[in-house]
Amino acid sequence: MTLFYLITALLLSVLIYLNRRQILNYVLVTIYAVLQWGFTIYSCYHYKSTELGYFTIDSLGLLLLITLSILSIPAFYHSYLYIKKHNETNQSRSIYFAALVMLLTSISAAYLANHIAVIWIFAELTTLSASALIYHHRNKLALEGTWKYVFICAISITFVFIGILFLSLSLQHAGSDDLSFSNLIANADSLNPFWLRLAFLFIFTGFTAKLGLVPMYTAGIDAKDTAPAPAAAMLSSVLMNMGFVGIFRFYSVVSQTSLHQWANLIILIAAMLSIFVATVYMTKMMNIKRMFAYSSIEHMGLVMLGLAMGGIGYYAAILHIILHSFVKASMFFQFTQLYRVFQSKSIYHVGNYFKYNPAGAIVILIAFISATAMPPSGLFVSEFLIFRSMFEARYIGLLLFVLLMLTIIIWAFGKSIFKILFTPPVGFDESRVPVISPWESLSQYILLAMAFWLGLNPPQAFTELIKDAITILPL
Amino acid sequence: MINLLLIVFIISLLYLSIANRMVTYIRILAFQGFILFGVTFLQLQEINTWNLAIIMLETIVFKAIAVPFFLAYLLKRNHITREAEPFLPNFLSLVIVTLIIVITILLANSIKDTHLDKIFFVVALSTLFVGLYIIATRRKIITHVMGYLIIENGVFVLSLAVGNEMPMLVNLGIMLDIFASVLILGVFLNKIGDVFKNVNVDQLDKLKDY
Amino acid sequence: MPGFILIVFVSLFFTGIIIRTKSLASGRKGPGILQPLKDVFRLFRKGSVYSETTSFIFRLAPTIYFSTVVMASLLIPFGSSKALIGFDGDFIFFAYLLGLGKFFNIIAAMDTGSSFEGMGASREALFSMFAEPAFFILMGSFALLTGFTSFYDIFNSIHLGSYIGYALGTMAAVVLVLLSMIENSRMPIDDPKTHLELTMVHEVMILDNSGFDLGLILYTGYLKFAMYGAIIANFFIGGLEMKVALPVFLLIQFAFAIVIGLIESFMARFRMSHNAQFIFALSSVSFLIFFGVLLIMGKLN
Repeated sequence: MTLFYLITALLLSVLIYLNRRQILNYVLVTIYAVLQWGFTIYSCYHYKSTELGYFTIDSLGLLLLITLSILSIPAFYHSYLYIKKHNETNQSRSIYFAALVMLLTSISAAYLANHIAVIWIFAELTTLSASALIYHHRNKLALEGTWKYVFICAISITFVFIGILFLSLSLQHAGSDDLSFSNLIANADSLNPFWLRLAFLFIFTGFTAKLGLVPMYTAGIDAKDTAPAPAAAMLSSVLMNMGFVGIFRFYSVVSQTSLHQWANLIILIAAMLSIFVATVYMTKMMNIKRMFAYSSIEHMGLVMLGLAMGGIGYYAAILHIILHSFVKASMFFQFTQLYRVFQSKSIYHVGNYFKYNPAGAIVILIAFISATAMPPSGLFVSEFLIFRSMFEARYIGLLLFVLLMLTIIIWAFGKSIFKILFTPPVGFDESRVPVISPWESLSQYILLAMAFWLGLNPPQAFTELIKDAITILPL
Repeated sequence: MINLLLIVFIISLLYLSIANRMVTYIRILAFQGFILFGVTFLQLQEINTWNLAIIMLETIVFKAIAVPFFLAYLLKRNHITREAEPFLPNFLSLVIVTLIIVITILLANSIKDTHLDKIFFVVALSTLFVGLYIIATRRKIITHVMGYLIIENGVFVLSLAVGNEMPMLVNLGIMLDIFASVLILGVFLNKIGDVFKNVNVDQLDKLKDY
Repeated sequence: MPGFILIVFVSLFFTGIIIRTKSLASGRKGPGILQPLKDVFRLFRKGSVYSETTSFIFRLAPTIYFSTVVMASLLIPFGSSKALIGFDGDFIFFAYLLGLGKFFNIIAAMDTGSSFEGMGASREALFSMFAEPAFFILMGSFALLTGFTSFYDIFNSIHLGSYIGYALGTMAAVVLVLLSMIENSRMPIDDPKTHLELTMVHEVMILDNSGFDLGLILYTGYLKFAMYGAIIANFFIGGLEMKVALPVFLLIQFAFAIVIGLIESFMARFRMSHNAQFIFALSSVSFLIFFGVLLIMGKLN
């Protein structure tokens, strides 16, 4: 089924690219959505099986795959709205949807990969497809954003490759040469620690470009700023999850060795720096999309903090990353409507959103409550668990620092959001405001409701899956 | 013989740090491609012939011929001026590159592993850092691409060190080469040349945090 | 003893061969091979004019320069016969003898009070500073390789067995050739034919010398060339006996002179700011030679 899925998705992508007719494009995209859901349901039923030797459907992969499939539906819908309202040419529409299909396929495959080289290949593919998405508008800004993204991601992927080479060196001592994660975990005691250290450094640095942590987060910021908002939603939710999967799987290998504490230290440093950087930049942000992007950085910093702390932090990290995907995606989807009303990305020119689109304004308000992790949003639960794990690990000073940073972020974020929602905009011409149907915001309500539900009253299967994903990690 | 070729490779890195003209960078890249061809031939004789033939073909055709020609074409098409404009004076670059090589050698000395031939590690790591340094200290965008190609060369040398046991990794590295190099070089540099008048990184500053 | 006599002998013809090569390469016939020597004799017969702003250092410097170079050439062995002066660590003595001569040259140039000469002196000091580590690291690597620290012992026990040994030998020869070009102020560091004082390095330092002093300085330059040629030749005639070593020595000196002539004919002088990085690159390359030696000896584990 995996092979069928990959080949069909590739075929659909090529067909969408070659085809110029609107109706046919949308039919092909719908077929792809059906295929994606079919594959997800198939994976649910074939839980814990291995396909093609390189893809294992384990709990983390399954959770993130379901998240991706849930998010792909509104992504396609809002892309359709975006392209329709922007009057794009046929060619740019074809490229956009082909790249989007390619992106979602490679991310799904990367979630399920059990061999580090396979994750690497699919990460490379996501760079290619994401760059086509970012370049959609074909103007100077888009070119600049695409160039920066491609360049930094290319260097990061090279770093991951170097890390893989070091990993194979460290594996030579154990006498085997299979780089699948199960084999690495089985041979964890006999891995050469020196090479493993280097491998961890390089692989971690490389994947931070996808995940959005210090030092390579800069690529993602520019990318999310210039890409069309539905694509940016995908980039800042499921693509970051892919970075997380890469680091998580390797971290689970390293945690079985003597380097566990050292790896925790490295992740801790990167996470703290990311939260700090996000705070600094958000205090003076005028560009709404960049503000959302930096908020993603902050959340990823929190997730990795939970991972570094251990204990309940592992559970909280995975919970947080799933909830964050829903919330951030809905924010970007709502942004498409915001832009349609105000034709500007700057907070300066945006305001009094309640007057023009009350349904959308409520979405932004609820999303703001979720993103800053105020109760009763689901992210409150996950962040609280992360703080609890920090307390239990006796990092009180760091906890206070993080809380301070988060308070500043709440202030900065809130200042901007309230300006968007309540204060009248500057120099805004009211006569040509398009009418936004409230049904367009329906998808975001559903996503936000899911975030609330999964955080506050998660179904049994959900918690079981998360608990199963973290069994491999030592306490 | 391999040691000799790798030492000449490092000397080419030193020459790279004081090179002034863009054409010199391209010549050094082609020269490094030829050296890597020789090293591949001598190092990977134990793996099966088909794999070896592909790798050698890739090295000689891609690294030594195709990419330098393509870079020369880019230089002409975008009317890029002859100077490689560095941020730091060349003398300082030379000192820093020498320091990088020395530190890498000292670092390699502290490894107690007998599986890896030390000189591969030294060459690979110093090439990697010199490539990063070139990216960070040059003004033109096309020198960024050349710095990336140098990093690729370093990764290739490192993959040769493990290539005997795992030829798949060397093949993966080659795929990385072709994919990423062709993408970056081919598609976007031309577009940048069309849109921006002179290809300096100073031009790429419109995406700001305002 | 034979080494010294041979160096003096070669120095009589060396510069003549260089100038002849340059002329032939540019299509002229050129002066005779003994012409530089005749120039020196002509200068010996003339009287010296001393500027009134100079002190005794200006009169002393050419003599000291000449005597240091003569003493340094007494340190060079020849094949299997020892040098007249030889002891452990004599290559350091050699380097600093030459440094002493250069030092007196520099302060004599500054003694004249001319700004051009001061400029040339500062450039000379800078280039010597960058060239010094190259020489030391080079000789130090070979001392490490052979375990001895005297010229004679080093040259006699070099075994250039493996590929990497030959490579090191070739690189060392190249570095030494370039070092000798720097020391003797030849292209591509300094153009001996330029008549613009702003672009001179060595020539400008001797602008105010005349007569016997100038003759001494010129002849010392020739002697230095022959001396460096002898060092390079010694790398190859290490343990050979006299009747094989002699023609090889002469051949290598001859080839050295022709190579220098060809380099001078076909290369332009570097931009002055590029000289410093060129010389430092030599130091980096000799550093690599050092690590190559460590690699051979297995000290690099």
